[in-house]
Amino acid sequence: MSERMLTMAEAIREAMCIAFDERPEVFLLGEDVGIYGGAFGVSADMYHRYGAERVLDTPIAELGIVGAAVGAALSGMRPIVEIQFSDFTAQAMDQIANQAAKIHFMLGGALHVPMVLRTPQGSGTGAAAQHSQNLEPWFASVPGLKVVVPSNPADAKGLLLSSIDDPNPVIFLEHKLLYKIPGREPVPEGSTRIPLGVSKVVREGKDLTIVATGIMVNKAWEVCEKLSAEGISITLIDPRTISPLDMQPVFESVDKTGRLLVVQEGPAHAGFINEVIAQMAGSASFGSLIAPIKRLAGMNIPIPYAPQLEKAAVPQIEDIEIAAREIVKNWR
Amino acid sequence: MSAQSLIMGHPMSSPAHARHALLYMWRIRKFEEAVEDLFGRGMMHGTMHLSIGQEASPTGMCMALTLQDQITSTHRGHGHCIAKGADLTRMIAELLGKEIGYCGGRGGSMHIADVETGNLGANGVVGGGIPIAAGAALASKMMKKGSVSVSFFGDGAMNEGAFHEAANLAAIWKLPMILFCENNKYGMSSSTEKAFAIDNLADRGKGYGIPAVNVDGNDVVDVYEQAKIAVERAKSGEGPTLIVAETYRWKGHSRSDKNLYRTKEEIEEWRERDPIPKFTSKIIEAGLMTKEQCDAIAQEATDAIIAAVNESVKAKPADPAGLLDAVFKKASA
Amino acid sequence: MSFKYPVVMPKMSMTMETGELIIFHVKVGDHVKSGDVLFEVMTDKIDMEVDAPADGVIDSLLAEPGAVIEIGKPVLIMLTDTEVMAFDFGNEEVEAVQVEQIEQVEVKIAPPTAAVILNESVKAVPKARSEAAKRGVDLRTIAATGPDKTITMHDLNNAQVDPAMAARQKANRALIAKGIEMSRGIAQASFSRTVNSDFETATLIRAWASVLRSRPDLAIHTHVGVALIIESKYGSALPVFKDPDHLAHEDLKALVASTSEAAKNGKVPLAMLTGATTTIFDVSRYSMNSSTPLLFPNQVTSLTIGYGTESEKNISLTIDLNFCDFYDGALLLDALVASITKH
Repeated sequence: MSERMLTMAEAIREAMCIAFDERPEVFLLGEDVGIYGGAFGVSADMYHRYGAERVLDTPIAELGIVGAAVGAALSGMRPIVEIQFSDFTAQAMDQIANQAAKIHFMLGGALHVPMVLRTPQGSGTGAAAQHSQNLEPWFASVPGLKVVVPSNPADAKGLLLSSIDDPNPVIFLEHKLLYKIPGREPVPEGSTRIPLGVSKVVREGKDLTIVATGIMVNKAWEVCEKLSAEGISITLIDPRTISPLDMQPVFESVDKTGRLLVVQEGPAHAGFINEVIAQMAGSASFGSLIAPIKRLAGMNIPIPYAPQLEKAAVPQIEDIEIAAREIVKNWR
Repeated sequence: MSAQSLIMGHPMSSPAHARHALLYMWRIRKFEEAVEDLFGRGMMHGTMHLSIGQEASPTGMCMALTLQDQITSTHRGHGHCIAKGADLTRMIAELLGKEIGYCGGRGGSMHIADVETGNLGANGVVGGGIPIAAGAALASKMMKKGSVSVSFFGDGAMNEGAFHEAANLAAIWKLPMILFCENNKYGMSSSTEKAFAIDNLADRGKGYGIPAVNVDGNDVVDVYEQAKIAVERAKSGEGPTLIVAETYRWKGHSRSDKNLYRTKEEIEEWRERDPIPKFTSKIIEAGLMTKEQCDAIAQEATDAIIAAVNESVKAKPADPAGLLDAVFKKASA
Repeated sequence: MSFKYPVVMPKMSMTMETGELIIFHVKVGDHVKSGDVLFEVMTDKIDMEVDAPADGVIDSLLAEPGAVIEIGKPVLIMLTDTEVMAFDFGNEEVEAVQVEQIEQVEVKIAPPTAAVILNESVKAVPKARSEAAKRGVDLRTIAATGPDKTITMHDLNNAQVDPAMAARQKANRALIAKGIEMSRGIAQASFSRTVNSDFETATLIRAWASVLRSRPDLAIHTHVGVALIIESKYGSALPVFKDPDHLAHEDLKALVASTSEAAKNGKVPLAMLTGATTTIFDVSRYSMNSSTPLLFPNQVTSLTIGYGTESEKNISLTIDLNFCDFYDGALLLDALVASITKH
């Protein structure tokens, strides 16, 4: 077995191609997903391989696109929608939150919506406030949506294949900065899946538990490496699926480390990561805490443009390092 | 459509067709009366939107469809659901919050769907069903099912972005779809005169390259005839049609509507254009049925509704125990 | 006209339960057409006209204008040519459509253990708190070194129980226990009164001292010494205020404040440890109404201050009947209450 180091864009494309080959009802639709290959090149060449009918270019009409995907999903297809930037899901929110999410429940289970909505999110590209948000809490707060936030190519592939298999609507949030970066781990060949709703313990340590999402998993990894040299050992947990959320590994880890640091890129106020804190506070593992829970998240501001401002708006490796060191040092 | 042409080889000139049209219009009328009564007695939770006066539009449209053809419906959707062939007991039971209701009490009046009859569901959001119908038509085209999808919506929905986006997608992809506008003159209290700067809503079709036609929404024969043409066009791959059916709701938008925005004279004028007696006299005149036969059909509809209500009232109330498990569909092994 | 149709008070909004009949637009015998207005009603939200569901004749009117009618109850009866959908299932079946209430699960909260109650007033990390409860450690005895003076696990694990402190706690407990034990053998009587709670501790001490001084026949010492029971980390501390009625009010007030603060940390000046002729125990700060009376050896009286209401306190006086008559208690308490009330 070769050790293939793919980028996340390549891994996602591979997953889509596997699904296209396995299921004739899978198709991709979105703005410029065809000959252009998608705004971030994720569907590059798929147009040539599968043709214009299955790699369907759409007009710029997010509500119509998602609505069409919902209707197609209700009628036997398995659409993958690409929305060019997650920020534009605001245009399509009726179809996402009022239609796709609720149809199975409110129609008494008569119908279901097997669709995946893939969309890039996150800051770091200088695209400013309307092209850089992390909107996990929008989707995570709507019952009926599954929400996946992959942090690396191997996970992205396995999670996307599971998302396409899933009979429910799945929002698949891809961080733009991860598209071109190869992961730390090889991407397995073939039709492999990673189940939704299973958190991954990325590494294990005894002094601190870090729960991080998306790109923050990668930043936290760097901190784990650095502090490990200083004798601080850290457990790093990547929930991968934020709806449904698997907290069990977090509880088990905190029972051992007694310290919890949570990290997300999106704004702190009412952010997804607060759910991790809330569930911890209400759990039996609360009594294992030997330190207050620490949260690192984006500032409560729109993402600014200038590079130094943009950097200041969201947690950086140094911020995580400082926070991790302080918790371990101050709370013994 | 004159009585003459009914006899002269028109599709609805068979007694079976006439009977179907009359029976379904009566079913819708009696269903809505029953709903109003049940609501008035406080037996129904929430709210309701009645389509009394509009029965000819869904009846005529759905008579041109097969079971495989799909529809999306609106908040004022009881008529579409019945016309497409839904079970009356399961509908009433849903309104009364019963386990045997179409949605197990989770959806209510605005969310009834029926897979068996190709009904993708009523929709609480104005215009919400239009892109979904486009998607269903897209699936039909991709899967070569040969079916057509119809989106029912009101005049109000024509000003929603969803209409414009879906109409454009249907047009550029030549989807087997019918955009069926029931123009009942008011989006809640806003008249079409206030909400549109065009006189004829069908003019909107031109902007998307979609052929559009006006029909008398209170004439089931006219609706059926145009529906048939649109279905044939869709099924032969020529793309969508916009049908604008001129009709009128006798009742308020919902129960708490005082009709402050329209006159008694206007309501009276439209009551005179009641689609049911209009069609009844037409078929009697054409010799397709006798008055006694027509009365018997009305009675049949009434009896069916009474039976549905009596059965529903006795049914088991929906159980909250299963709520959490109802959010996601379980993956089939 | 072969069908009787009851026109009911309609439900017109999601929240409506009753409606008031304002006026009838028809009278018995009137011929009406479908859509004609029959009557007007007023609800919490709107006024509305109710119209005829079909053509027909008014048969009877069942209510007077002004009547408040439940939804679903008939307002008038009309006779119609065609059957109008109408259902009447009686109350029993209406009950059946009521949404079942989700059974309320009674949440039972286990009473906290003694150690947890004790540890409530200190700041500690959750693990230290649960461990302390498990080990039976009083967290107040542990020095906090964590941020914001929070007790960390490190603090708990490294806390040495100070033998001197343990000895003092033990001695203090023994003192109180001995007092109680001896009080039991004394023939005693207790009296209580409710007073306004707007007096300061210093006022009470001073007033009580002067009341006692006014009855030299009761005093077995030449001076009056008022002991005040204060909770400290070493257990109960009993600083004694000697002849407090000889001090100016402001001075006594300052002395009571500084002594109380010091006593909480177990620091009572040596000179204040002896010479008590009476004891005051204020249990009102624990929201207690009263407690077991205490009569220490050689003290003829003791006072317990209990919580009454938001604006009142209970003062209980216990006297040793070997030294005074039964009614003396009543007189003393009356004099005390008069003195602090006058103040």
